[in-house]
Amino acid sequence: MMLCDIAKSPLASGHRFDQGRHWAASLDLRFAQRDGVTRMVQARHQGPLRVQRPFYPEGRSEACHVYVLHPPGGLVSGDALTISAHVAGGAHALLTTPAANKLYKADSQGVAWTQHTRLSVEDGATLEWLPQETIAFDGSKGEQRTHIELHGSARCLGWEVMALGRPASDLPYVSGRIEQHFRLTLDGKPLWLERQPLDPLHPRFAGRWGQGGATVQATLWAVGIEDAPAAIEALREALPDNARWAVTIRHGVLLLRYLGNSRNEAWALCEQAWQLLRPLWIERDAHTPRIWLT
Amino acid sequence: MHTELNALESQSDELALLGLMQLVSPALPIGAFAFSQGLESAFELDWVRDEASLAEWLSGVLEDGLTRCELPVLARLHQAFGQADSETASATVATWDEWLAATRETAELAAEDSRLGASLKRLLSSLDLLPSDQQLPSEDSLTPLLPHQAGYVTLFAYTAHLRGVSVRQTLLGFAWAWLENQLAVACKALPLGHTAAQRVIEQLRPALVDAVNQALTLEDDELGPVLPGLALASALHETQYSRLFRS
Repeated sequence: MMLCDIAKSPLASGHRFDQGRHWAASLDLRFAQRDGVTRMVQARHQGPLRVQRPFYPEGRSEACHVYVLHPPGGLVSGDALTISAHVAGGAHALLTTPAANKLYKADSQGVAWTQHTRLSVEDGATLEWLPQETIAFDGSKGEQRTHIELHGSARCLGWEVMALGRPASDLPYVSGRIEQHFRLTLDGKPLWLERQPLDPLHPRFAGRWGQGGATVQATLWAVGIEDAPAAIEALREALPDNARWAVTIRHGVLLLRYLGNSRNEAWALCEQAWQLLRPLWIERDAHTPRIWLT
Repeated sequence: MHTELNALESQSDELALLGLMQLVSPALPIGAFAFSQGLESAFELDWVRDEASLAEWLSGVLEDGLTRCELPVLARLHQAFGQADSETASATVATWDEWLAATRETAELAAEDSRLGASLKRLLSSLDLLPSDQQLPSEDSLTPLLPHQAGYVTLFAYTAHLRGVSVRQTLLGFAWAWLENQLAVACKALPLGHTAAQRVIEQLRPALVDAVNQALTLEDDELGPVLPGLALASALHETQYSRLFRS
């Protein structure tokens, strides 16, 4: 596979600790179908972002699975991560990560990090974006943007699971500010716009109209389910009956949201929803990436 | 001459005021009383249970919802309806109408917006307040076109502009109508006493003015509602066993 264009500029070395601290990393993936097989036809990267060799655990004519690796394992002040994935018509890619993504405490200058994910899916293509959770350490500051650009009959399912603080170490998220954005468009028209500023000092962090004190949140989206009412019915039947999650569909975008306090509960919910939805969505059983089990 | 002009001016101000009162009246037959915007679900979840928790919920929704979403967009739409270049203005109206629809968190909140929009449009049409060319682009059309399935906020801005209501008063009127409607929901479903509802109004009246002030200062990239709890409540309402309201 082509892992090329390792660009190293002196400015990107990150050896600065002032306000100008900046370490950019990017990954630009393109998938296309060749002779009935989804190929990763481009994997450009810059800085510490890599992909492992694609593989086909479901069979050669099925989804191309790719693990996105960020060897540093987390984001510190000044980091700027950009991940782009483009799937051409007829291709099917499944992207995930081998571990949780950590958002570390901001440096003494309070410099923020940014993480931008751009998923572009052409007419007749399918993309699954299933990263492992993000864990925000107390004091972390940054902005996470997910842009999903769909065309025609593109199908896309993805999620973001965000855990604030480290409950196991009794280190809650009591300072910092993280802003999460979602933007999903179909042929250029916005269908879903959402922003979630996570600020522990704001009244909405505890307020019921806002976070309600929840330290873990998850959002799963899915576009391209033919019989959405049946899919929603199936989710409500099968998933645990409690008020920490709910599912809805508006403007053709299915949204499942979780607000609670357990990373495991949020992850199980997303994984189970994906397993239930996949046969209804693309007539394929879910094939759990082995990396999740390690 | 001078007094005559003044008299004319004050007459048009007064007509605008009456037009606004008509638009925000609970008697306006568009069926707004049927929607609770997640509030009925908040009662069921016991998130809102009395006067104090209701006032807290409403203050939160005002600050993180209306102030960042409906009110600033209302101002942008109102200004667009006032633009002479109706082609650019039509594009601006369509953009914000789409933007609002895309920020609706759940099926019920999206349906509420489009149903109230359609009702208000029907009402305007039966009052002959909708130019007949509103559906078709034409060169001599002076008003920007309404998008085909314009939402409630877009129709509200259109009506207010038509009636000569100022931007600020349009926003105040919209916020007032929202508050009154939410309190009507609480009186019916909580239930909250009518005097207690008036106390909540007294408490929130200054907050409505603050919300309008704040809404008018926000830049485009600062907009967007931040109501994850309300979004969850609204989606849960879809399966609520006993319900009086459609949202």
